[in-house]
Amino acid sequence: MNAPLAVEAVGLERSYASGHATVAALAGVTLGIRRGEFVAVMGPSGSGKSTLLNVVAGLERPTGGSVLVDGENLAKLDEEALARHRSKRVGMVFQAFNLLPRFRVVENVALPLAFSGVPKAERLRRARAMLERLGMSARADHRSNELSGGELQRAAVARALIGDPAILLADEPTGNLDSVNGAALIALFEELHHQGQTVLLVTHDAQIASHAERTIHMRDGRVVPE
Amino acid sequence: MSFRDLLGMSLGNYGRARLRSGLTTAGVAIGTALVVLLIALATGAEDNVRRSIFSIGDLRLVTVQPFQPGANGLSAVPRTITDDTVAKLKGVAHVDGVYRQFDAPLGMVVEGGDDATIRPQGIEPDAPIDRGDLLAGRHIEAGDRAVAVIPGNIARLVAPSVGSAVGKTVTMRVGGAVKLGSTRIGGSGTPRDYAVKIVGVFDEQASQTSFRIPLEDALLAGAENRGLTPAAIRETTGYSGLAVEADDSTNVAEIVKAVQELGFSSFSLKQVVEQIDQGFGVFKGILGGIGGVALLVAAIGIANTMVMSVLERTREIGIMKAVGASPRDIRALFLAEAAYVGVFGGILGLALGLAGGQLIDRIIRQLNPRTNPAAIFVVGPDLALGALALALGVALLAGFLPARRAMRMSALSALRYE
Repeated sequence: MNAPLAVEAVGLERSYASGHATVAALAGVTLGIRRGEFVAVMGPSGSGKSTLLNVVAGLERPTGGSVLVDGENLAKLDEEALARHRSKRVGMVFQAFNLLPRFRVVENVALPLAFSGVPKAERLRRARAMLERLGMSARADHRSNELSGGELQRAAVARALIGDPAILLADEPTGNLDSVNGAALIALFEELHHQGQTVLLVTHDAQIASHAERTIHMRDGRVVPE
Repeated sequence: MSFRDLLGMSLGNYGRARLRSGLTTAGVAIGTALVVLLIALATGAEDNVRRSIFSIGDLRLVTVQPFQPGANGLSAVPRTITDDTVAKLKGVAHVDGVYRQFDAPLGMVVEGGDDATIRPQGIEPDAPIDRGDLLAGRHIEAGDRAVAVIPGNIARLVAPSVGSAVGKTVTMRVGGAVKLGSTRIGGSGTPRDYAVKIVGVFDEQASQTSFRIPLEDALLAGAENRGLTPAAIRETTGYSGLAVEADDSTNVAEIVKAVQELGFSSFSLKQVVEQIDQGFGVFKGILGGIGGVALLVAAIGIANTMVMSVLERTREIGIMKAVGASPRDIRALFLAEAAYVGVFGGILGLALGLAGGQLIDRIIRQLNPRTNPAAIFVVGPDLALGALALALGVALLAGFLPARRAMRMSALSALRYE
């Protein structure tokens, strides 16, 4: 396969100052994710898997090496450009859902488009269409605090996809869900993957990782073989 | 993020913590109302004073006095105003006219009896003091001799009515003993009588002049009183004063300067008005400053509210950043929220200030019905707009630091904030 890479990291480093010591969350990660691929990143806590996801999402800056997402070198972007990166190239799903409780579901889903300047009517139209695609139409006008965990995460996926991102990022998306809802969410990811969506999922659960096409294992900030 | 979305979203944020936003807005409103009320009070007082000055006379007029500039009262050093001075003043830029005046010695109108004491003032035709204050007859005209335009009170002493005084010829006695109030004074020189025909009667309430006669007549009377010739009087004693008229009141300062350079003292209402304006400027500044302190307290309230708002919405800021809000979007959101406090507080404060002014005005008039009918509080469009702009400016300033704090917040740590 010669599809261009969705993510391409070379010697990627991310370290934090912790007191006098420096802690390396990423200690030279080199990897590539093809477009349309469904990749799971697995590893114990502290292995750097979430940091990797955050760097790809543009929420954290690499301290060394390089990372290209959809062809864009994130190390070269300033804060404003990183914000555009988050709104256009990636969509993120969190363990804690992170919906705004005072907004209706459809408004939550439409929120990212507000920051890329899409007019309100158009935003809401697209948000409803996305909710319909994910089977959430019935909940569109509820406030997000009226939804169950499974529904919340589905709404979060809708929000992540609203900007038609090159890559869907998910950080322990099933962490706050029961097993039934967790399984349903993974089924949704598989379905999206079959529709051509690139998915990068972080989990510590081998059962969930087994649904991905490929699993990358991490330990101590490095990619390790199986 | 579009401006419309920004306004809509921050309005939602403003409306969410209703009590807190309301209280903060009330603080701004009270501060603004106080600024408006106090400055309106000063403006009202200034308008009143200015109006009463404008009723005294013409702002375009500069009176040249026969003294050196600077000193006044007993320390004034006399200087002679001659025709040379007049010629020089006529050459000064923006001077429309120079009118000479000569005051003859005190005297009386014989037909009027002891109470008809007069100070005959020699004036030129169309002199500023001899305009538009007639009760009957006409003003002094070019070529007039042995005529007089007399005040209403004297006219009533020599004729049954002011109208019937016109056309009458009376005896003007210059010099000698006269009665001033209830005392008799010796007077100067030998009394000498002149027959003058009354051509006009002016309203003595509206003028500060006494008994207007042609300049030449006054010079002659003054000369004969002292055994001199009019020419000698012009040269040595000089004129009693000059009325210099500017083409516009804005040019009065230049003329005053020219008069002083010629070595004469001057007086103009315009300068008095300027001094009053200056005084009121300080007065307004002090009052506005007192109101400003209230607004400053309100600003601290805004800053506090915004800090709370930022803290409370830390997680929300994190979420917004994670889904693509730029630092500028976040800052704009919080600044807009502060701006709402300023705009709503400003409008409310302006309304409160206007209503408060009306209320106080009404109460004062109720307590003292004889209060000057002019408005006590005056709010012009500049004060109204200025107050709104001030409230908005103060709010933006107070919101700046909290907004910057929100802008600089790391998305990740904000997301982890509980």
